[in-house]
Amino acid sequence: MVWLQILIDGFAISSLYALGAIGFTLIFGVSGVLNLAHGGVMLVAALMGWMLAGEARIGTYLGTLLGVLSGLACAYVTYLMVVRPIQRSAAIPREEKEIFVLTGTLLWGIMIQQGMAYLFTDNPVTMRPLIAGVISIAGVRTPLNEIMIAVICWVVIGMLWLFVNRTRAGKALLAASINPRGLTLLGFELSRVYLLAWTIYGVLAGVAGVLLASFLGVSSNNTGQLTASAFSIVVLGGLGSVSGSLMAAYVVGYLETITAYLIAPTLRPLPALLLLVLVVYVRPQGLLGRR
Amino acid sequence: MTNLLRSPVLWAALLLAAVAATLPWWLSGYVLGVLTVAYYFGVFSMAWDLLFGFAGEVNFGPTFLIGLGAYTAAILDAKWGPPIPVCIIAGGLVALIGGLLLALPALRLRGPYFGLVTLVAVLLLQNCIVIFAGVTGGEIGMTVPDVLSVRAEDNYWYALGFLIVCAIILFGLSRSAIGLILQASGQDAIGAQALGFNVTKHKLAAFCISAVFSGVAGAMLIFYQGTASVSTVVDLGVGVQIIIAAVLGGRRTILGAVLGSVFLIVAGEFLRPLGQINTFVVAAVALAVILFFPDGLLGNLLRVTARERE
Amino acid sequence: MSGTDTPRLQVRGLTKRFGGLLAVKDIGFDIQAGEILGLIGPNGSGKSTVMKLIMGIERPNAGSVKLDGVEMAGWAPHKIARAGVGIVFQHSRPLHRQTVLEHIKLALLPDSLIKLFADPHVERRAREIAERVELGAVMHRHPSSLPFADLRRMEMAKAIARDPKVVLVDEPFAGLNAAESESFAALIRGFRAEGRAVLLVDHNVKSLAALVDRVLAMYLGEHVAEGTAEEVMQNETVRRVYIGGKIETRERPPDEARSKVSILEVQDLSVFYGKARALDKVSIHVREGEFVSVVGLNGAGKTTLFNAISGLLPYQGTIRFGRRDLKGMTGAAVARAGIVQCPETRELFGDMTVRENLDLGGYHLPSAARLPQLTWLFELFPILKSRQGQTARTLSGGEQQMLAIARALMMQPKLLILDEPTLGLAPVILEQLSKALERLQQTTPITVLLGEQNVTFALPHADRVYVLEHARIVWEGNPARFAKEMGRGYLEAEVVDGARVHPGCE
Repeated sequence: MVWLQILIDGFAISSLYALGAIGFTLIFGVSGVLNLAHGGVMLVAALMGWMLAGEARIGTYLGTLLGVLSGLACAYVTYLMVVRPIQRSAAIPREEKEIFVLTGTLLWGIMIQQGMAYLFTDNPVTMRPLIAGVISIAGVRTPLNEIMIAVICWVVIGMLWLFVNRTRAGKALLAASINPRGLTLLGFELSRVYLLAWTIYGVLAGVAGVLLASFLGVSSNNTGQLTASAFSIVVLGGLGSVSGSLMAAYVVGYLETITAYLIAPTLRPLPALLLLVLVVYVRPQGLLGRR
Repeated sequence: MTNLLRSPVLWAALLLAAVAATLPWWLSGYVLGVLTVAYYFGVFSMAWDLLFGFAGEVNFGPTFLIGLGAYTAAILDAKWGPPIPVCIIAGGLVALIGGLLLALPALRLRGPYFGLVTLVAVLLLQNCIVIFAGVTGGEIGMTVPDVLSVRAEDNYWYALGFLIVCAIILFGLSRSAIGLILQASGQDAIGAQALGFNVTKHKLAAFCISAVFSGVAGAMLIFYQGTASVSTVVDLGVGVQIIIAAVLGGRRTILGAVLGSVFLIVAGEFLRPLGQINTFVVAAVALAVILFFPDGLLGNLLRVTARERE
Repeated sequence: MSGTDTPRLQVRGLTKRFGGLLAVKDIGFDIQAGEILGLIGPNGSGKSTVMKLIMGIERPNAGSVKLDGVEMAGWAPHKIARAGVGIVFQHSRPLHRQTVLEHIKLALLPDSLIKLFADPHVERRAREIAERVELGAVMHRHPSSLPFADLRRMEMAKAIARDPKVVLVDEPFAGLNAAESESFAALIRGFRAEGRAVLLVDHNVKSLAALVDRVLAMYLGEHVAEGTAEEVMQNETVRRVYIGGKIETRERPPDEARSKVSILEVQDLSVFYGKARALDKVSIHVREGEFVSVVGLNGAGKTTLFNAISGLLPYQGTIRFGRRDLKGMTGAAVARAGIVQCPETRELFGDMTVRENLDLGGYHLPSAARLPQLTWLFELFPILKSRQGQTARTLSGGEQQMLAIARALMMQPKLLILDEPTLGLAPVILEQLSKALERLQQTTPITVLLGEQNVTFALPHADRVYVLEHARIVWEGNPARFAKEMGRGYLEAEVVDGARVHPGCE
């Protein structure tokens, strides 16, 4: 019985992780940025969604939507006010730009965490479920909400796949991750391509954030952990590889669920961290890494 | 050697040290306490600057090394009560081992990957401390039975003395032949190898030095505060503050890190009445520094004077 | 030269593979003490890789490198350096807070973790070396305040400080003017006089001819010719590799319909890479419908010229397209304005299919125009049609080049810039490319600016020819006059400093 529960719960949480991780790896693949404010973006989406849906009494669906938009706004601020100014700064030597961007996003993430904690306290909050009710799957009582979440994740992932592989704009995005210079030579302004990438990222992280709030709940204390999970997954799957992140998300998600159920809930984040250290020591390019 | 003695930075530093030594005679215990913490922070930041500014390795989790040193000393003291110096040395040794563990992947990884590992190291340590709460006091922290002193002035002089000794050693290293080799290794590893330097060996040495100083300073800090907790010595936010202090003061200057730390801690105290938002403000200031003054205080000063000389 | 038993440096069977690419294949040579060997080859020939293999920066897959009989292949670079191999890099990253003297002192330091202070003689020796390389006046200054030539002298000084038995010098004269080159040559001759073995790596024989004792020419990783500088320059294979073969020109029919309007005007263009001067007051113009070839050896500045026109680098001077001044426009904007470059490196999207690459090229076209354009290109390059669904990475070199050109043509450019399209391609493919270009010229009003080292390829299509050498335009005229005046002397012609030949333009 426990195994079935692990299977179902693990699937839901892994799908959620996959969504966040794909966004994280997309930004890295296209614009080369490791966004350490990732947890912060998800947090903003989650808390705004919770507040608007519950406190402002505008209903769960509208609240969720506005939560996602808040995540998108936060992603824009991250790019336009933190990442891009550092990338364009003439005062920073080119070799150190990567490090400075990393530090900048880390700082920004801390600012978000502290700011949100100030506004909402650091108590965990849970959003009301999108669908109420429980169904029984082979004897395991599973909230409908959980299934809904997994479905939404996969729908979004599917839409992303369609976008990248079947639309022209999506192909341009893919091309940017392969060869940005080639795109410039074909008349594409890279700044607009990057803006597109961050838009998609904002939506992905925003959806992941509000769904997380609905499923497990969030608190501003989770911010660091969320970022750490995302980059554990992404490094395991291979930086820049979307399919790698997908697979790795399930590995990590299930590891965490198994740990939470069979060992102790407080040890939940541990396996991802240990796995990350292992991967970095043994195979730094991850399962399917390109760069 | 003569070059060193002619350095204006050195004379300014000596002057500041002399002034600092006289402060207990006309400042309150509260202010002295703030400065004490700032001085230990100064050592943290100097150790970081040696690793980053000179060996070129970005360590996003200096609190991993500091925490190892601090908790080793604390647990040792709480469980078996050896004299304080022994605990401190033990802390330094454990931090050294931690530094070596961190160094091994570093020497094979590119920048961002290594940065991630350092971050993860802190998170892992945090989790370990929480898991073994019986020994470590978990998230609440643990009290340390012995302290360096109960008088604010004594603590202040211990901290200042420690800072000055560390500054002399670290600054001296940075200006020595070894420091030159380290700088070359960090900035142009291939070029340094072509000149016959075993870059791996030198970077490893830089890690060890940084680790020992961080660990020892961490241990001394908890013997000042009388408590050891995750939020003070193994926190990501604290680690970032250390980095900011070094960047604020000026990367690759070593002494700039002290200036940055003092500024940051003192400013943090001034902002304390703001409550929880003070970390936010500090982070915001730090972000502004990165965006607009990446060379930091001392860095800019040195650049200006160098240009004037030519 | 000298009759010692063991050559100072002995290389045999050196091989290096990068993934699927064989960069260096079975290279071997000797250098005696007191001898200067020149290693020449065009881009992609593997000469720089050979240098890195000797220095230990890359590890050879096979082969041996012996210094005075001691096998060093596979050693760590710092061990090789300590054994007596020194290298003078073309570009280095100096420490900005250290003075020139301190840089030289660094080179004199032992590899010790505990020696805090340098020995007293180090300071004195560093000064001597600084004087020797003519940096005595500036030894207390910081690198950022020094001109490029002095930075190169500093690199020389660091190498001298190591007292090497073998000295490797990468592109000794790149970025230097005639006077600076001469003083460098003197320093290198000094190495020879001191009994060191010297390996000079460069793009072409001309610049090294006066300095070297022997030359080894490489192409696509292989040994092509060896001997004295004159012998190598006369060698047929070398000439084919550099010039391409017999120089033929085709009579271009005078076309009344071809307008005489100038669409591209480049005036006094100068480009600097850091301190190094990559283009020196270059002026060219291209008229509508013309086919202009810029010929020059690798390293002359063709790519820099094209990148400046395409808006990919900062420059001084004016570039006008039609009546527009291009300064300040982004690279993408220049491409959309009608100047499309097909660079030397092709910049294909390797993981995407041929069709996807072409579609991206046609992205900015109105949708009605896309399919007809694609169809027309498939007629021009039939092989691309049959390989539509293949990933670009899996195509052969020639097919990739055709794809790159086709993709550029999808944008319906007013001016097409082709940078070294023949690099690394087999003669059969060159034929196909040549035919395609001819069709292009005959059936469309397109204007083409071609940059090539391979003169045989560049000449038949051209209306006019510029010769670019060491960052300057040194000759301009039509192909017939080129064949008469430059011809076989292309490899051997002298550059008179400062003089730019101004033939009567048509």
